[in-house]
Amino acid sequence: MATRLQYDNNNCEIGVFSKLTNAYCLVSATSASANFFTGYESKLKGVIPIVTTSIGGSGTIGSLCVGNKNGLLLSHTITDQELQHLRDSLPDEVVVQRIEEPICALGNAIACNDYVALVHPKLEKDTEEIISDVLGVEVYRQTIANNELVGSYCSLSNNGGMVHSNTNVEEMVELANLVQVPLVAGTVNRGSQVISAGLTVNDWTAFCGSDTTAVELSVVNNIFKLVQSQPDFVGSEMRKSLIDTYV
Amino acid sequence: MVQYNFKRITVVPNGKEFVDIILSRTQRQTPTVVHKGYKINRLRQFYMRKVKYTQTNFHAKLSAIIDEFPRLEQIHPFYGDLLHVLYNKDHYKLALGQVNTARNLISKISKDYVKLLKYGDSLYRCKCLKVAALGRMCTVLKRITPSLAYLEQIRQHMARLPSIDPNTRTVLICGYPNVGKSSFMNKVTRADVDVQPYAFTTKSLFVGHTDYKYLRYQVIDTPGILDRPFEDRNIIEMCSITALAHLRAAVLFFLDISGSCGYTIAQQAALFHSIKSLFMNKPLVIVCNKTDLMPMENISEEDRKLIEEMKSEAMKTAMGASEEQVLLKMSTLTDEGVMSVKNAACERLLDQRVEAKMKSKKINDHLNRFHVAIPKPRDSIERLPCIPQVVLEAKAKEAAAMEKRKTEKDLEEENGGAGVYSASLKKNYILQHDEWKEDIMPEILDGHNVADFIDPDILQRLAELEREEGIREAGVEEADMEMDIEKLSDEQLKQLSEIRKKKAILIKNHRLKKTVAQNRSTVPRKFDKDKKYTTKRMGRELSAMGLDPSSAMDRARSKSRGRKRDRSEDAGNDAMDVDDEQQSNKKQRVRSKSRAMSISRSQSRPPAHEVVPGEGFKDSTQKLSAIKISNKSHKKRDKNARRGEADRVIPTLRPKHLFSGKRGKGKTDRR
Repeated sequence: MATRLQYDNNNCEIGVFSKLTNAYCLVSATSASANFFTGYESKLKGVIPIVTTSIGGSGTIGSLCVGNKNGLLLSHTITDQELQHLRDSLPDEVVVQRIEEPICALGNAIACNDYVALVHPKLEKDTEEIISDVLGVEVYRQTIANNELVGSYCSLSNNGGMVHSNTNVEEMVELANLVQVPLVAGTVNRGSQVISAGLTVNDWTAFCGSDTTAVELSVVNNIFKLVQSQPDFVGSEMRKSLIDTYV
Repeated sequence: MVQYNFKRITVVPNGKEFVDIILSRTQRQTPTVVHKGYKINRLRQFYMRKVKYTQTNFHAKLSAIIDEFPRLEQIHPFYGDLLHVLYNKDHYKLALGQVNTARNLISKISKDYVKLLKYGDSLYRCKCLKVAALGRMCTVLKRITPSLAYLEQIRQHMARLPSIDPNTRTVLICGYPNVGKSSFMNKVTRADVDVQPYAFTTKSLFVGHTDYKYLRYQVIDTPGILDRPFEDRNIIEMCSITALAHLRAAVLFFLDISGSCGYTIAQQAALFHSIKSLFMNKPLVIVCNKTDLMPMENISEEDRKLIEEMKSEAMKTAMGASEEQVLLKMSTLTDEGVMSVKNAACERLLDQRVEAKMKSKKINDHLNRFHVAIPKPRDSIERLPCIPQVVLEAKAKEAAAMEKRKTEKDLEEENGGAGVYSASLKKNYILQHDEWKEDIMPEILDGHNVADFIDPDILQRLAELEREEGIREAGVEEADMEMDIEKLSDEQLKQLSEIRKKKAILIKNHRLKKTVAQNRSTVPRKFDKDKKYTTKRMGRELSAMGLDPSSAMDRARSKSRGRKRDRSEDAGNDAMDVDDEQQSNKKQRVRSKSRAMSISRSQSRPPAHEVVPGEGFKDSTQKLSAIKISNKSHKKRDKNARRGEADRVIPTLRPKHLFSGKRGKGKTDRR
């Protein structure tokens, strides 16, 4: 089941301050108290390491790094001490690497799970090769609903994915065939289309902002298979709720 | 989401407070010191300012009252009718109308007295006019004191009205008094409506919220309705009628089949039939409450018939709902059937709303939201989820062992709370030895950044370097063995000596030639005046080097086949023999050749009168005529010292003597 969280005083963009994968979880070190960390700790302690860190002194680590169970790519703004801290905190199988990419908001430019990555169309060729090597994924250059920041407008796991709510059906089918997981167009945080800012997900759990409504939470639970659900849940048990909410 | 919020209306002061507020503001915000010795226009300005300022404040405050109270025609009909029921529309409008009239009167008073003040002739008279103006304004305010008091009462009551959204999903509970409506409300929502065993405990509308299928529904509890003519209903009942009339809600009509509410089923059925027009186009559910006191099987035949009539009447508005969804049984005391009633009502309402929205065109904009894109396999790679074993085992246990582990928040509270506690970032390091966690890694060492020298693959690189070193040592031994073979034989030494001797001779000759030349330019071999480089010499040198010169000499001779005379001359002379006679012959030959070329060049030019193809003339006569015309055309120009239209001349455009008028006074010398 997805858990509602908020960062400090009613900031519901929790995906900007954390990064969750199947092998580790990164949490922002700039929080004023341990409430945000404990939200993740209560679900993940003893399962995967939860690392408190910053990137280049900034707490918006979800936007500055991209990773999966195989590796973690960090923007060039990270300091050497932070890089060493991450290397010491993560398992040896996870490759931690700094990347010299002009688009340093990697979390906004790249969306990936453990097998496929969608990247910003203007990313450099060298960066594409590094992503393929470090993260062990197939790399595709794509836009989502005519937005180049694919990392912001979609959220992927190995069970499913959620994309921008203005994505039309043909584009969704094309993207689903690329990433090989079911996709749905949805929102988080009461209508926000920036999916990954309000949602962070892996294969068995998810966290979303506290503004997320019950309908949005239900879509998240069903598409990422956090609960038992049939493949066409939006057309069967959730159809009436979705129609009454959106139309 | 709250569309109508009457809690923000500003407090309406009563008449006396109103006067005090405005006059105090005038006294504080305008000048107060004046002397009779001032100029009369200054005195006039002083008092006009006071009058105008007071009027402005009155106008602003009265306008705020008029604007903040809702206009009954412009708000939702439910609220319009509700306010009419509670406060009487006529009285409400009269009160606001009187406030508006007062505002206009005050403006008129101000205008009149400002006009009078402009003609004031002394301090005393101006002051009297100001006092009269403010006095009349206050008199107008005193006259509307009852209206202000009435509006303040309305404002206080409005602030206590529940925040009902007329457009959202709504479930409306209605029926006779004391049938269990408020009990049901308290069961399905978090509202806390007062419940008593007598009629009319609920005297106004109450709102609660409940969830069904991820959606939020507002549940409205209404006061009980008695069966009597419309004109005889009181304010409490009219609240219920208003809600029934204007809210597009699912209606739960509560029926007390036990009779403990004080009314018989016949009376309740009569009420149902008298207000059934209000149920049109609404999902309607008849709820038989208090089944713990009177089970449905024990109802008399006469009452059962009445209930069947109500059910058949409700089926007319059911719009496809099954019979089981129209008549339901429930007991709020024992909680039996409460949830099924709620679910049935919410389901009926949701179906109706979805059906209405499916018919609208807006749904076409959101079709992508009702689609899950299922991928087709494009390769044979399996992409399975990566869930750790710990999670699977935990799910298998169903979290029965709810282990209480210390969280970071617990540690924070134990160690002083937020802002005081600082967690160690190193305690969760994953290192080969735990005692390495607290090691201090320096950032700068000997002026260098330590991170620049960290290489994660250093062990691999060391192995590679050792392997390369081994390969290189084997290569060096092999090279030493090869070196032994390279020793020159006696014959090779002799040849080497000859080569070096020949090179020394060539160098010496070159230096000698440069010395003898004495600053003369070095002539390329191409201009071989000494005739030193000949075919015979090439043959001799090639033979000296041990090569067969015949093929080279044949190739050189074939290239020079076109110069037969040169070869015939050379054949009779020795290559190294040069004399002056031969040189003079060559010069004469060159001179005669150039003269012949000049003659041929002059001969190739045709005479002037001869026609050359391409000139455009048909014969020589025409060409001669054209030449004559051309010469004639520029004869005049040639006479003018060759001046033509391309030559630039700047004449005197405005000669002064032509543009001067009559002479004025003074001298006639214009210079």
